[in-house]
Amino acid sequence: MDPPSLMPRLPEMCRFPMLGMPPPELAPRVGWIGGDASVEESTVTEQCGGSKGRRRRRDPPSSGGATEDESSKLVSTSSGNELTEAEAKRLKAIKSTDGNDNIKSEAEASSGICNKLAAQNPQTTEPPKQDYIHVRARRGQATDSHSLAERARREKISERMKILQDLVPGCNKVIGKASVLDEIINYIQALQRQVEFLSMKLEAVSSPMNTSIEVFPSNDFSSQRYDATSGLAYSSQTREYEQGSGTEWLHTFERVT
Amino acid sequence: MDSKSSACSSPNPNPTLGPSKLMLAFRFLRALSLVRRTTPASSRTCRGRRIERAAYASMAYTAGASRAWSRAVLRRLHHRARRRAVAPRRLSTTAGNRAEALRRLVPGGGGMDYCTLLEETADYIKCLSMQVELMQGIVDSASSYGP
Repeated sequence: MDPPSLMPRLPEMCRFPMLGMPPPELAPRVGWIGGDASVEESTVTEQCGGSKGRRRRRDPPSSGGATEDESSKLVSTSSGNELTEAEAKRLKAIKSTDGNDNIKSEAEASSGICNKLAAQNPQTTEPPKQDYIHVRARRGQATDSHSLAERARREKISERMKILQDLVPGCNKVIGKASVLDEIINYIQALQRQVEFLSMKLEAVSSPMNTSIEVFPSNDFSSQRYDATSGLAYSSQTREYEQGSGTEWLHTFERVT
Repeated sequence: MDSKSSACSSPNPNPTLGPSKLMLAFRFLRALSLVRRTTPASSRTCRGRRIERAAYASMAYTAGASRAWSRAVLRRLHHRARRRAVAPRRLSTTAGNRAEALRRLVPGGGGMDYCTLLEETADYIKCLSMQVELMQGIVDSASSYGP
């Protein structure tokens, strides 16, 4: 009874005993439904069927035109998935040739299959075609949100890369993420080495300054230390600020130490 | 400590400027004088180590606890002070994975996701370059004042 193309899918298909029934041109689609639904059969499908059934109970049961509207809407929200794009093409093809009786009956046959599929779920009361379309849309939406989040993350990373490129000197000319990261790593290493080197130098320098503490009176020393801080390569604004308020800070610093 | 409380309680006279540079200089100079007073002048390498540690500590204190790297630096500092263990200093960054190298360079970078790592790296570079600028200035002025 089964077409030979369905033979390797038999372990999945045996859950749905009616699936042997469809005409042979429907077989690949049915196989796709069965193979996909078996991935998360007991959780997503049944829950979606239940929620959909609840929603369908609020709305009056609609004809084929309404279902096609809704299905196209759902498919349009879930563009980006390859499977759903293929499905959208197929649905458009069905919609364009809606007047043809054969294909219409075929679509009804497929919806009938879905009826049977949904009737196997114990929670679903209202069956129809929207069931598996809804599942598919949910899958499409899920991947879409994932890809959206991934895109947002990538944008964030590139934005931070740009900030880092502005921070590290000579990094703007470098092309390529890897070499930019190399530059950043080298710069951090250089800075850390410089801190090490400067602390050694400060140690060497601080011993004569240590003797000079006893030589200078406290007032002179504070002004000297004040020069030491304001003579840095700070901006002029900082220097003004320090001239305004830094002296009393360093006076307290000197008094305490 | 009287000096600590007076430093922390003194209000920032110019809130528009951002106190980080001045606070960094203040903290570092205070730590430097503390190191100079408490460490004997004979042990030069120990003193250099302590000055370097003071540099990182003043950086971390100035950055505050809102940053992961500063928290990591302070945690490491406190652990070291408690159990006197010396961590391995230079880690080789010749690994093929550059993000791993960056993770090892930025304190607290392990177990951070890539986005946060880049953000922390940017902040760490800012603070580190500020610290280097400050130390260079101190060294220059001190050597010009020296005998």
